[in-house]
Amino acid sequence: MSPKILSIDDSKAVRMIVQRAFRPYDCTICEASNGEEGLAVAANEKPDLILLDITMPVMDGVAMLAALKKNPELKDIPVIMLTAEHGRENVANIVSLGVRDYLVKPFKDEQIVEKAQGVLPLQPKPVAVAA
Amino acid sequence: MTKEHTLMPSPHANDMIKKFGLESASESVQLLTAMISKRGANMEDFAKIVAQDNDLSERLLRAANPRATCKAEYRATTVEDALQRIGMSFALLLAMSDPLLRAIFNAFQTMLNIELTALPPKELTPLETEHVLGEVTFVGKTTGLVHLRLPCSAVPLIGERLLGLTPDDLADPGIANDVLGEMCNMVVGNFKSNLCDAGLQCKLSAPKIARTTDFKIQIVNGGTSERYAFRSEELEFFTDLSVNPWVECWK
Repeated sequence: MSPKILSIDDSKAVRMIVQRAFRPYDCTICEASNGEEGLAVAANEKPDLILLDITMPVMDGVAMLAALKKNPELKDIPVIMLTAEHGRENVANIVSLGVRDYLVKPFKDEQIVEKAQGVLPLQPKPVAVAA
Repeated sequence: MTKEHTLMPSPHANDMIKKFGLESASESVQLLTAMISKRGANMEDFAKIVAQDNDLSERLLRAANPRATCKAEYRATTVEDALQRIGMSFALLLAMSDPLLRAIFNAFQTMLNIELTALPPKELTPLETEHVLGEVTFVGKTTGLVHLRLPCSAVPLIGERLLGLTPDDLADPGIANDVLGEMCNMVVGNFKSNLCDAGLQCKLSAPKIARTTDFKIQIVNGGTSERYAFRSEELEFFTDLSVNPWVECWK
């Protein structure tokens, strides 16, 4: 089964960039626009990787990460932070909660794929063969 | 320089910066903002830090001698003279603009493949007709705002470069505003991180995108402002930064 990636960002533009970056790979992308929605999608979809923004309405990424790590069913899902915020104190706080990696916006498509490949075995999409 | 104004990141912080490839502002900028955050700024220490940074010293001297066309015409010839003329607030604004400008160059290059050059604002045609204004404000140990002022023609360019969107896609103001808002977020989020690293903790507002014909630079209460201009093959635009580094406000 192809790996599932959950992209959580309040910006539709960023979610579209994530979709585009992973389009050549055999994986499924699901989305949420805030931490609360992200927790619900994570519980339903059980993704293999979460890409998480920090500053979001309703529930921010740090609060969502803390809630995720407290949930025995979800706590082992690897998380990569994808955010413009990289203040040392912020990063230290987030790292202490447990993240696999940290990618600062702005980023290139290949950077996010490379970070994800550090966590998941991503394979190129099989080429469709005409009958 | 007093000992409290040296900056020693913890070994743990350094490990994380290395591991995740994070970037910090230049040391002089961090030292100056750290000095302000401790509310212990004095002109002598301030001048010593500025004098160690050639680029910042030159910008400060240029700002203190606005009518001079070359160095020979400078009336304020030392960093101390320049600080006396323009004051520490404006000098700090110059220092703080450094991480902001770097964030702008980086965001436009990485996300849009646009190579920008900074130039004096008077060299660009003012945006006196309707243009797009992206605003992000920050409150905390320092307060201020960042305005990105782009011509309306920038919207299809940014939408196409960022996401391959067509003018039809961007006719939906929700999508156009989201694209522009994310560019503002990337720029100001990086800027804010540099301020926080230097002890000026603050929080950002969500970006506000509007169309306006008002090109006047806004100044936050009790603060100072500066306008920056950028040019590339594809685009010309302005950015305004206004800061009051002396008042702590979290609302």
